[in-house]
Amino acid sequence: MIKADNLTRKYGNQFAVQHLNFEVKRGEVMGLLGPNGAGKSTTMKMLTCFLPPSSGDATIDGYGLSDSLKVRRLVGYLPEHAPSYHDLDVEAYLQFTGKMHGIPSATRKDKITEMSRACGLEQVMFRRIEELSKGYRQRVGLAASMLHDPQCLILDEPTTGLDPNQIIEIRHLIRHLGEQKTVLLSSHILPEVQAVCDRMMIIDDGELQALGTSDELSKQSQGGSAVIATIAGDAAKVLERLHKELPELDASSEQNLETGHVVCELYHPDPTCGLAEKLFHAVVAEHSVLLELRNEQASLEDVFRKLTKGSPS
Amino acid sequence: MNPMIALCQKEWRISMDTPQGYVVSIAFLLASGFFFGSNLFLNGQADMRHWFAILPMLFIFFIPAMSMRLLADELHDGTYELLATMPTRTLDIVLGKYLSLLGHITFLLALTLLYPLTLSLLGNIDSGLIMASYLGAWLLAASFAAICLYASSLTSHAMIAYIVGLILLLMIFLLSQISPTLSPALQDIINMLGPISHYHHLLRGVVSFDDVAVFVMVIITFLSLCWFDLERRRWR
Repeated sequence: MIKADNLTRKYGNQFAVQHLNFEVKRGEVMGLLGPNGAGKSTTMKMLTCFLPPSSGDATIDGYGLSDSLKVRRLVGYLPEHAPSYHDLDVEAYLQFTGKMHGIPSATRKDKITEMSRACGLEQVMFRRIEELSKGYRQRVGLAASMLHDPQCLILDEPTTGLDPNQIIEIRHLIRHLGEQKTVLLSSHILPEVQAVCDRMMIIDDGELQALGTSDELSKQSQGGSAVIATIAGDAAKVLERLHKELPELDASSEQNLETGHVVCELYHPDPTCGLAEKLFHAVVAEHSVLLELRNEQASLEDVFRKLTKGSPS
Repeated sequence: MNPMIALCQKEWRISMDTPQGYVVSIAFLLASGFFFGSNLFLNGQADMRHWFAILPMLFIFFIPAMSMRLLADELHDGTYELLATMPTRTLDIVLGKYLSLLGHITFLLALTLLYPLTLSLLGNIDSGLIMASYLGAWLLAASFAAICLYASSLTSHAMIAYIVGLILLLMIFLLSQISPTLSPALQDIINMLGPISHYHHLLRGVVSFDDVAVFVMVIITFLSLCWFDLERRRWR
């Protein structure tokens, strides 16, 4: 549905986005993650034909960015901070958006009713947007971006500045929309992307760093295998035995003074070494007891930090 | 519906419905009423020559105020990004904005038609002259509107747009004022291109193609500049 092909944008001599390649499939919710200034908004501005790319191209449902009028009809866009006309009331604003998109007057009214219900705007329809809270403004923006029933939604930080309840509401809304539409949303809030998106990509310094589901990214980032174990008995001997088998093992252990159990964090750079299995056998051989054994997965936060670390901002 | 018309409607609604719109309208009508009344009783004649002579000054101060927010506010509030990502061409945006501004000015000028109507009750007025003068005033206002819309596309601050528009219009006005002191060649250029001198031709009651063409040329030039400026922003 959305396909970027070497998408590059320069501001003056500085690259804002360089050589971005990715694809968002139809009906997928894709998260665009990155620290501030990574090029998320620039990418979205290019995909919505607001900024022309310096080189490269992208297609939306097969239409290239130079087919700008067709692309804009297919895309619903919510820019960052959800700008809207503060002097208009919600109804007038939605009417205006509908007219701009060329929705015929016969169906416009129904569309507006439908969208305002979906976004929970019924009670504020005749209030001036100026008077509304941030959460409502965000929802007005969302309703406006979906009014022409676009195939594809591009949302730039749809939940910034909202309180936790509103964030959950908007997330539900996006999840619900994602069932029928292709959604590309940007955020720098990890749990949000994890909660809403099927797949995500992480960009930093305008370059794609990783792309995949959150599980894939965690595994990819980890590189080795890590295990946390709680051992009752002689942990030192167990670790010694394990070291003989796996010389590259990196282990740290700590004794719980109350119970006498030892909690070990084990890491081995080879993910296929069978660390957990070998640990189990070592414990049995030393006649100790294994109380807990779990595979540690790098959290998305770790992935994010690792992939975007040390970048000059 | 055509996006240009939709945009024009929206602007019209804001200029009629919000304080920033109607305060300017009321101030313009008050000022124009003042200049009409004060000269009328001084001269004791049923004509509007003095009012039409002072009208460019009113335009110079009020048209930038009507136009300043049109594009500058869109750029400032980020709503321009919305407009530009809707299925509209930049030309639709420029023309929609311009037509709403022209509509606003036409509406205010139409309200001043009350003056000639009042005068016609008091004495004999030269209706041909007044019609030609109104045409001149409308064309002059339309040219000034295009210039001020361009000023509004240059900046994202409405106040700066006002000042820039005011300076551009004052320069045009002052050039036409000082032209008699300049060399004949310069004088000719200013008289040929300056909208004010053509406005004075129309005030004499003669409508010629040349005069109208100059106004139309000014309008097209500044709307093109405005279009060019908005397009240029995307490439920076």
